[in-house]
Amino acid sequence: MYLAWKEIKHEKLRYGLIVGMILLISYLVYILSGLSFGLAQQSTEAITSWGAQSVILDKDANTSLQQSMLTKSQTDKLTLTKKESYVGQTPVVTKQAQHKNVSAQFLGLDWAQFIGTKLTLVYGHKPTKANQVVVDDAFKTDGYALGDKIQFNSNKDHYTIVGFTHNAKIDIAPVVYGSLSTWRDLKKLPATFTASGIISRDADYSTGIAQLKTYPVSTFINKLPGYSAQNMTFTFMIAFLMIISLVVIAVFLYILTIQKIPNYAVLRAQGVPSGVLVNNTISQALLLVFGGLALGSSLTALTAKLLPAAVPIAFNWPMLIGVTAGILLTGVVGALIPVKLILKVDPVTVIS
Amino acid sequence: MTKTTTIEMHHIDKTFGHDTSKIQVLKDIDFTAQKGEMSLVIGPSGSGKSTFLTIAGGLQTPTAGTVTVEDTPLTTIPVKQRDALRLNKIGFILQAYNLVPFLTVQEQFSFVDRIKGTTHMDPSGLAALLDDLGISDLVDKYPSELSGGQTQRVAIARALYPDPEIVLADEPTAALDSQRVAVVGQLLHDLAKKHDKSIIVVTHDMRLEQFADHIYEILDGTMRQAS
Ligand SMILES: Nc1ncnc2c1ncn2[C@@H]1O[C@H](COP(=O)(O)OP(=O)(O)OP(=O)(O)O)[C@@H](O)[C@H]1O
Ligand SMILES: [Mg+2]
Repeated sequence: MYLAWKEIKHEKLRYGLIVGMILLISYLVYILSGLSFGLAQQSTEAITSWGAQSVILDKDANTSLQQSMLTKSQTDKLTLTKKESYVGQTPVVTKQAQHKNVSAQFLGLDWAQFIGTKLTLVYGHKPTKANQVVVDDAFKTDGYALGDKIQFNSNKDHYTIVGFTHNAKIDIAPVVYGSLSTWRDLKKLPATFTASGIISRDADYSTGIAQLKTYPVSTFINKLPGYSAQNMTFTFMIAFLMIISLVVIAVFLYILTIQKIPNYAVLRAQGVPSGVLVNNTISQALLLVFGGLALGSSLTALTAKLLPAAVPIAFNWPMLIGVTAGILLTGVVGALIPVKLILKVDPVTVIS
Repeated sequence: MTKTTTIEMHHIDKTFGHDTSKIQVLKDIDFTAQKGEMSLVIGPSGSGKSTFLTIAGGLQTPTAGTVTVEDTPLTTIPVKQRDALRLNKIGFILQAYNLVPFLTVQEQFSFVDRIKGTTHMDPSGLAALLDDLGISDLVDKYPSELSGGQTQRVAIARALYPDPEIVLADEPTAALDSQRVAVVGQLLHDLAKKHDKSIIVVTHDMRLEQFADHIYEILDGTMRQAS
């Protein structure tokens, strides 16, 4: 460690460049994984907030809540527990004279069921009438406020925003929570339809009706429009980036080590064991990578703060720890590749 | 006073290269060094002086023959043990470049403390050594900031600081003026006489002659005693 640190201090420019390179690589990986997670969250936020374990849909709806419909004749045969909630989903465009239109997802609820009762609001209150709605706080950024009267699509009816909730997005759009009857109105459905599907906190909830199927929530999420494709794209991007950075970091450390061979030969001639030199090389690589990671993560935090709210970026610990460990490992592997060279250093090379 | 042998070399041969490009640098060399004595090995450039010295200190292995350092047969012990011997018993003053470029002069010494732990000079001993060599003012400088002669003197101090039993010096005065040559010659001579060290210097600098107990000459790969 002593030698490693002294050397870094003496060769500030050279080591600064390497730290800078690791900073940029880690910054890129952090931001990409943040965007990936942020975007994924926009598909699933609402579902996650409900604590859903399974989703019950029409078995011919291609695992899509939007495509599914449960008829009254089906739901009349069901007994829902405290763990089940009807949801009617339909995409809407919200309109209000003073604000710009917002593409949203309307979710009709029975407010007496668990999604409705467990919903936490940041402002306002839950609907008490059919023409009242609670909206995601993304609407606030577009200027919507409590008491605003909004219209959906080209419908004449007005609905009043009585509450804001946080973290309510599904299918990459903010959610408008309303009633199941409004959902029917928007879909122009008769009263013979109950909802799009059932969300359950019970993984094994079964309806006993052949036409209805219970999906685990993970299956449901993977079938959300674009969700798998987008996640796969990001995963590949991050994986390739990691592999490329492994090669780049390894090459840099290799060149660095080659340049140090004469110094090592001097130390070997003085009788310094090669173990000390190997140790030195690895601890130096770790110092450089730690330095780069610290700066990279600070820059990421700063960027996340400065990015406009519209850019979906979010972080979670398992992901951050995984990425960080990956880059650290990359550095150690890069430093280990030239170890053979160090072990083979011939002190005689510095004699003449 | 009985003599104590520190280095003993028998029938040393050293060849480099193969087949047609083969050159024999050392031929059947016998050599012994004693405690309390300073030996000088002289010879023209390319005669094999450095090769001889590095074999004596275990940096290279001879093609044939045996080297014994303080009763340890150098040619048969593992590398680790040879490293330890170099670290603990032998001080090398190399012909070129034997300072660590990213450590200041002071740090070159403190690094020895870290690696070796015990048996090096105490601070006053080091201060006196630096003073003798006229490099006390240079302790905060990096090797790249030193002149050739200053580098050489720091290298000498660096080799002597761990207080080695045996000092092997390769052209330690090449970059020094006559006054400094006398200082270094006297220093090495005193180490042998007052501290009972074994000193071997290879050089073509005849100005060192007066300080030596024995003088050997290498010519065409063979060694003979000159006085
Ligand atoms: N590793 C090596 N491979 C091939 N030849 C070598 C090697 N090392 C030394 N030689 C050759 O051995 C001979 C003796 O070299 P050495 O360095 O011992 O000479 P020297 O007496 O120290 O010379 P100088 O006074 O110039 O330092 C030279 O001809 C040199 O070219
Ligand atoms: Mg030489």
